[in-house]
Amino acid sequence: MILAQTVAAAGPALDAAPALAAAGDVSVGEQVVFWILAPVALGGAIGMVAARNAVHSALFLVTTMFALAVFYVLQAGPFIGMVQIIVYTGAIMMLFLFVLMLVGREASDSLIETLRGQRMAAIGLGIGFALLVASALTRGLGAVSAQGLEEANRGGNVEGIAAVLFTRYIFAFEVTSALLITAAVGAMVLAHVERPKGMKVSQKERSRARFAEGSYPGMKAGPGVFATSDSVATPALLPDGGESDRSISRVVPARGLTSAEAAPKHTER
Amino acid sequence: MSLSPYLPIVGLFALAFAFALFSVAIAPLIGPRRYNKAKLEAYECGIEPTPQPVGGGRFPIKFYLTAMLFIVFDIEIIFLYPWAVAYDALGLFGFVEMVLFIGAVFIAYAYVWKRGGLDWD
Amino acid sequence: MAAEVLARSLAEPAVLAADVKLPDIDYLAIAPMLVLFGAACVGVLAAAFVPQRLRYRVQVSLVIGALLVALGLIVTVARAGRAVATAGGAIAIDGPALFLQGSVAVLGVVAVLLIAERSLERGGAFVSRASLTPGSAADRDQAEQPGATEVYPLVSFALAGMMLFVSANDLLTLFVALEVFSLPLYLLCGLARRRRLLSQESAVKYFLLGAFSSAFFLYGVALLYGFAGATGLGALRKAVQAGDGNTTLLFLGLAMLAVGLLFKVAAVPFHVWTPDVYQGAPTPITALMAACTKVAAFGALLRVFTVAFPVGAVDWRPVLVAIAIATMLVGAVLAVTQTDIKRLLAYSSIANAGYVLTGVLALSAAGVAGSLFYLVAYGFVVLAAFGVVTLVRDADGEATHLSRWAGLGRRSPLVAGVFTFLMMAFAGIPLTSGFTSKFAVFSAALGSGQVTLVVVGVLSSAVLAFPYLRVVVLMYLSEPAEDTPTVSLPGTLTAAALAIGVLATALLGVAPAPVLDLAAKAVQFVS
Repeated sequence: MILAQTVAAAGPALDAAPALAAAGDVSVGEQVVFWILAPVALGGAIGMVAARNAVHSALFLVTTMFALAVFYVLQAGPFIGMVQIIVYTGAIMMLFLFVLMLVGREASDSLIETLRGQRMAAIGLGIGFALLVASALTRGLGAVSAQGLEEANRGGNVEGIAAVLFTRYIFAFEVTSALLITAAVGAMVLAHVERPKGMKVSQKERSRARFAEGSYPGMKAGPGVFATSDSVATPALLPDGGESDRSISRVVPARGLTSAEAAPKHTER
Repeated sequence: MSLSPYLPIVGLFALAFAFALFSVAIAPLIGPRRYNKAKLEAYECGIEPTPQPVGGGRFPIKFYLTAMLFIVFDIEIIFLYPWAVAYDALGLFGFVEMVLFIGAVFIAYAYVWKRGGLDWD
Repeated sequence: MAAEVLARSLAEPAVLAADVKLPDIDYLAIAPMLVLFGAACVGVLAAAFVPQRLRYRVQVSLVIGALLVALGLIVTVARAGRAVATAGGAIAIDGPALFLQGSVAVLGVVAVLLIAERSLERGGAFVSRASLTPGSAADRDQAEQPGATEVYPLVSFALAGMMLFVSANDLLTLFVALEVFSLPLYLLCGLARRRRLLSQESAVKYFLLGAFSSAFFLYGVALLYGFAGATGLGALRKAVQAGDGNTTLLFLGLAMLAVGLLFKVAAVPFHVWTPDVYQGAPTPITALMAACTKVAAFGALLRVFTVAFPVGAVDWRPVLVAIAIATMLVGAVLAVTQTDIKRLLAYSSIANAGYVLTGVLALSAAGVAGSLFYLVAYGFVVLAAFGVVTLVRDADGEATHLSRWAGLGRRSPLVAGVFTFLMMAFAGIPLTSGFTSKFAVFSAALGSGQVTLVVVGVLSSAVLAFPYLRVVVLMYLSEPAEDTPTVSLPGTLTAAALAIGVLATALLGVAPAPVLDLAAKAVQFVS
């Protein structure tokens, strides 16, 4: 809701763009902003592909998306600029990060090719395709100047979008709700572990289990308590002088410490 | 296009940035400096921290569900934006269509709620 | 200065587009889609609020009821002889649209019968809770629990999206429809009860490649908008006719648009997902995809190329002819090497996409009619064929490896007989719908001088007959092995689906005239 209010409040201020420049006419301000942000956008894109760490990749992508949002605003499309920021840098990027966390931050690509030469072929074909599209677009768009932009934005960019959204694309717009329902249902089906009613553990049951016969209700001993070293690998000493293995992290043995390393350490005197 | 309407936003960005920079830069200059022996000692922390918490730093999948639901309603809100701006021009027709749209997305909400998708445990 | 600007921008009221003209909507014409979308929404609510034990019945009757009502409405609209472009011209309800919507509805009913089957396996073909990790203790516990009922609203959404896809008259509406029917299919592919990892893998593959193809499609739409300044199919045709636009944008856009559409029809070289997805998905969903998705995708392909780009045909036809030839040959040759019945049927569906393309590329009324007829005929055969695949099972579920089918003809002559008949229909033996439909598209292609296509088509049909006959030979001439799976007795729903499929295949082979006439009458596009 807060988002909606912010957006709605920002609306009029953004839409009241005074007379747009004539087609093909690029203002100095636009040029300056473009030349500052174009390297940023490109750098972000390259960084995203090149970064070893997946989280860094995601952050590079955020940079690129922000730069693109400014470009959209610059191109007299404030609505699409706002969508880019709210939906893409906001929501979609968050989903990206969550997916990264699902996979594990440290997970990296496997370098084993299951198909021989696939990687090289993919790189070659990708570059070829990019060159093809880029060269065709340069040829196709080199001499093109924006037409009808002023007309389309006459009543304001967002109003123009509302006008087509609620006339020609009204059915497509309504059907988008089907897409949203499908997304929500799909997320539920694939990700929501529904527990049968009896399986939900309540606070009461937890408490009972804790004080049940045979379990130790008190806190676990912290590492280093009654010990002579503050290493986490040092077990706490019980009042009788024995070592409490409850005090050592489960991870420590898993890391394969030698018994010498895990043994209680004494400070040199 | 003329960029002057965006000047306030640029100004706001600049202000925010300047404030953050100012806060960080000023803290060591005006903060109190009281040193004692313990503070000056090198911190000895035993063994190296394990590189990953148990499970390899992975999040439970329920976070993903929350993120996905957020996106669904985020996109719904995006459609409210042009409708709200052009509300007067669209009139009753726009209102009815928007109610239909919100009603449809509300179905997803009701489903998620009833099936416990919003419960945390 | 900034403050001054801010004050001005706040004081200046936004100029409202006061001349928003509200669209005329012909509600009867779009009623079939509205019914199906409505049923899907109700289904989602039912999945939440109806008690667990009633859900299955409510959902199944809801989907089938909605499909039948939609079919009735389609017939009503068709009877009234309407051909309109409604909702601001973004949706065209004309002959082809009504024919294809009707086909989607009829084939959809049959597919839902297969999907709703629960007597072959406890709980049906779908997993109960897909969120549980495959192979975990909780997963083993749910082995016999009833399948998730969210399947049915998802199928309704998919079918409604397909109906919109075949009637969309604007590239943006077409894109939304593409997503609306694809997204539920991606999900449904991952919900198999058995071999869950394979199923989930197929869903991920389908989703990733599908998302790629959607991106291509959308990029194509953007470029075409750059060319014509509009995304309506009629406006595009006018822009191509006027010929003063930027042809680089036109061809680049058209190529990308075609990639998106050809991915959905599984034409070579955009077919690589098909065998994996067809194999991994739950078999009833595979049937749904092979029948209904094919109808929808070809419907859109026909409309886009016939309505928007008839003028530039000289330029794009050779490319599509090459693709059609590659599709027929690759599909047929690779089908020969398959050892899994679902993969075999997948490659056969690729080859069949090539045959429909032959009809499309005739670029004539006869070609459109032939393609429409082919889609319906093929839909029934493939639904019945996958229906038989669901019957041949052992303790681990469906036995899809071909070697396991050896000797099936002696153990269960009836099912083997039905499958033999279906294989003959696939191979295009006379007196089956396979023959009439192939005849329809090939004669249309010959009529417009596409001799190469027809020659390749006939050759590849001959190649394709080999794997079909191999299955038949395997079933009858091999000794039943110890581990030859049993054939389950089909439940009422599967039996009904099989009966409809086989009957339609026979009827369309023996007396195809009514449907052929209907298709011939339905070739007029509006825009």
